[in-house]
Amino acid sequence: MTLGAPLSIRKKLLAVVLLTTLVALVVALGAIVGYDLRSYHRSLISDMTTQAELLGRTIAPALAFDDAKVAAENLGLLKFRPQIQSAAIYTARGRLFASFAREKDAEAFPKLPENDGQRIEGQDLILFKRIVSEGDILGTVYLRADYELYQRVLDYLGIAAVVMIAALLAALATSARLQRLITDPIVSIAGIAREVVEGRDYSRRAKKMSTDEVGTLVDSFNGMLTEIERRTQELEASNREVSRLNTELEGRVQERTAQLESANRELESFSYSVSHDLRAPLRAIDGYALMLEEDYAARLDDEGRRLLGVVRESSGQMARLIDDLLAFSQVGRKSLSRGQVDMAVLAREVVSDLTREKSVARVEVGELPAAEGDRPLLKQVWSNLVSNALKYSGKRELPLIQIGGRVEGREWIYWVRDNGTGFDMRYYSKLFGVFQRLHRAEEFEGTGVGLAIVQRIVLRHGGRVWAEGAIGEGACFRFALPMEV
Amino acid sequence: MLPAFALAALLVAGGAGECAAQADEAQAAEYRVKAAFLYKFGSFVEWPPDAFARPEIPFVIGVIGADELADELAQVVAGRSVSGHPITVRKLRRGSSLAGLQVLFIGRADGGRLAEILAPAKGQPMLTVTESEGALAHGSVINFVVVGDKVRFDVALPPAELGNLKISARLLAVARRVIAGPT
Repeated sequence: MTLGAPLSIRKKLLAVVLLTTLVALVVALGAIVGYDLRSYHRSLISDMTTQAELLGRTIAPALAFDDAKVAAENLGLLKFRPQIQSAAIYTARGRLFASFAREKDAEAFPKLPENDGQRIEGQDLILFKRIVSEGDILGTVYLRADYELYQRVLDYLGIAAVVMIAALLAALATSARLQRLITDPIVSIAGIAREVVEGRDYSRRAKKMSTDEVGTLVDSFNGMLTEIERRTQELEASNREVSRLNTELEGRVQERTAQLESANRELESFSYSVSHDLRAPLRAIDGYALMLEEDYAARLDDEGRRLLGVVRESSGQMARLIDDLLAFSQVGRKSLSRGQVDMAVLAREVVSDLTREKSVARVEVGELPAAEGDRPLLKQVWSNLVSNALKYSGKRELPLIQIGGRVEGREWIYWVRDNGTGFDMRYYSKLFGVFQRLHRAEEFEGTGVGLAIVQRIVLRHGGRVWAEGAIGEGACFRFALPMEV
Repeated sequence: MLPAFALAALLVAGGAGECAAQADEAQAAEYRVKAAFLYKFGSFVEWPPDAFARPEIPFVIGVIGADELADELAQVVAGRSVSGHPITVRKLRRGSSLAGLQVLFIGRADGGRLAEILAPAKGQPMLTVTESEGALAHGSVINFVVVGDKVRFDVALPPAELGNLKISARLLAVARRVIAGPT
């Protein structure tokens, strides 16, 4: 059964009932009609055979004594059997002996009798029956009777049509009432389910109308709703708890951040003031040492003058340390002023500043994409990295420094590569620490703050810095700046 | 097949117009029909039970004054029986005993002495058949008559009743005339 448009359960049930009724009716009527037609066929043949037998018995004397007149009289009695249309008697030699026909001229009798038996010819039953007496065949009876099977079939079809229409109407009326028993609970559940889904109201419950499978369905459905309602409530409660905890956590984070920032500021200002305040006594030491050198150098012996030189050199060293510390601390304190920065121009400026006197090294500046950031701070980055490279490659015969950059993903990446002393990757973790040095001060001058400043500036831009190198094979320092902060 | 013999004979007789033996032929055909009829009467008449004490007792047809018919009849009944009794044809002469006969045919030749011949049969279970005009008056049960070219017969019931014979209504239905009252 294919159904075009989607049908409701109500219509499907109706269709099932009607189809079932129709099939049952067709089978039942078919069986009844078939049985009736079969018994009609049999009883007609049996009746006509008996009639022929009787006729044979009655007519036997007339045949035996060659009395056609009497035979015709006997045959004439058949007019009281309306379904017999015509009849004839043949002699044993096959001659037509006597005949009877309901419609006079319409009849053409068979020329010769046939063997015992009957057949259907159109709407006629044709029957032949031998007349046997004392073992002698006296002759043959021929009968032609109305065979009304087809008429009966037509009659039955008409009756069947009427019965089917009546039965289908009755089934329609009955099932329209009875099917409510089945469909109403289902339709009710479907309605509740739709309302629940549309309104997200899990407190609705379907009404139980029966104790059958649909009743079980209602129970299960209601159970499910209860479960969903419970879980929804639990979920909402736990969501509320989570959001409360979140709020609390945020507050705590803010509090801690504020504390940290305050501590940091205190630390910064402390180190700034320490550095600043250290300068004044240092200037005094250096100033008086200078005065001692200028005014009393002649009175000192060589050892005295050497010691004085050490004092002056150490005080200069300390002054550079304090400057660097101040610079480092300022990088943390100053706020960033962001803007478009042409890194190529910036790098070339730095290179030309630093290589004025040390023209031994070859510096190659490649294509550098422009970036966004604080120009003076970024210049500081370039300056520290390039001077670092110049410093550590200075002992090479042909120092080579390559500067480059490219866009990668959402970042600008820049690098400074040299062919200098390089470093041991084992100590990489100390590379960007303040006052951390991988080489001795006697070997390479410096305070150990430069790379720390680079890292601090890059981190303040939201970027990252890293390096690779090996002892004797040079180093490459890279930093990346994000395109969006 | 018996009526067929008779009919064939009649047809042959009808077609032999100018033949010299016409009369003899007609006579022969007539006897053939009568012989067949004689044999068939047995089927429509009921004899009293004591007429056949045992099954093997033959059904005897006696013929007087018609040897041709007797010969013809002998051919017709060869191998046949009536109610299980084999049929025997017996040619009788004047004065022969009639004892043991079920059917007695008296030919035209002895038509003059009917009363004499029929007298001993009276009251006996014996179907007497004649072919002479007025024979029924002498106590014969069945008398052949020729109507047109057909052999018909009249039946008188009183002598049959005297002989305790029951004649089937079906036979009476094809008789030309049936005499029911006393003659």
